[in-house]
Amino acid sequence: MALSNDELKRYARQMGLPHWGRNGQERLRAASVFIAGAGGLGSAAALYLAAAGAGRITLCDPDTVELSNLNRQVLYSTSDVGREKVTAASERLASLNPAAAIVPLSERIDTSSAPDLIAGHDIAIDCLDTLEARFILNRACMALDVPVIYAAVSGFTGQLSFIHPPATPCLECFIPHKNPTEKPQVPGCTTGIMGSLQAAEAIKYLTGIGSTLASCLLIVESMEPRFDILEIERDPDCPACGNQAA
Amino acid sequence: MIIYLRSGGKLHDLLKPDVDQYTRRVETHEGATLVEILGELGIPLVMVAFAFVDGKVRKLDYVPTDGDVITIQSPVAGG
Repeated sequence: MALSNDELKRYARQMGLPHWGRNGQERLRAASVFIAGAGGLGSAAALYLAAAGAGRITLCDPDTVELSNLNRQVLYSTSDVGREKVTAASERLASLNPAAAIVPLSERIDTSSAPDLIAGHDIAIDCLDTLEARFILNRACMALDVPVIYAAVSGFTGQLSFIHPPATPCLECFIPHKNPTEKPQVPGCTTGIMGSLQAAEAIKYLTGIGSTLASCLLIVESMEPRFDILEIERDPDCPACGNQAA
Repeated sequence: MIIYLRSGGKLHDLLKPDVDQYTRRVETHEGATLVEILGELGIPLVMVAFAFVDGKVRKLDYVPTDGDVITIQSPVAGG
């Protein structure tokens, strides 16, 4: 179906970008995005993907909004405290772009639920807050051949990569099984930067423009400030995708 | 031999930078792994996820060479 007049107006300031055009916009409208985690990263990623015209956005998070979330989780307002995150987020995203189909899932991602939750999506955005859940998402997406845009934050530090094995390393090739020693302090500017970059990676992949951070790890140290783009390689001994992986 | 360790974030204070705000000069012996070097500096390995050198991610069994500038990164998982 061709873009409507309203859509042409709404997206006029992005469709003129090189190689985006009507074709890119239609591809974005036809896309289905799975956002794992509706916290700080998920807030920024979801807002920019909905605004850009992603057709279907599934938001998966079992939590309710807490007052301490509001320094960085910009999907929510003070009046949302105590509500299910995915319900409040769906309302906010629908109000931003009524054409986007928002699917709220108030569920925790675990080994048994992940494949069914993720199946049918074109891409997954990893906005989770534990390594355990991230590794579950990594393995489920690998099995389903769904690319993942990984980001993680702590303080003024952020990491980002585009993961789609076997063309790229998987998450467990370069992130060791080491948990941070404490719940991180995170200012909203860090999740805003990294969640926005996740949206940018998704938009590039879904519209077919530009290059992604495949086989690269972006490290953002806003405190210094410093941005590094590092090469990452598949690990033949990776427990998830290596030679000995189950 | 001399190597340079860099870090921001949570490792910054543990590293005790002396070259500039983020870098410490470290004298070590050839063949030492990053695990050994970090151990000698009293930096808990649980607080270091990986390192990078010349734009490549390295695991902690990496053996530095003279003059390497090695950035160490703490585990990051927040969302």
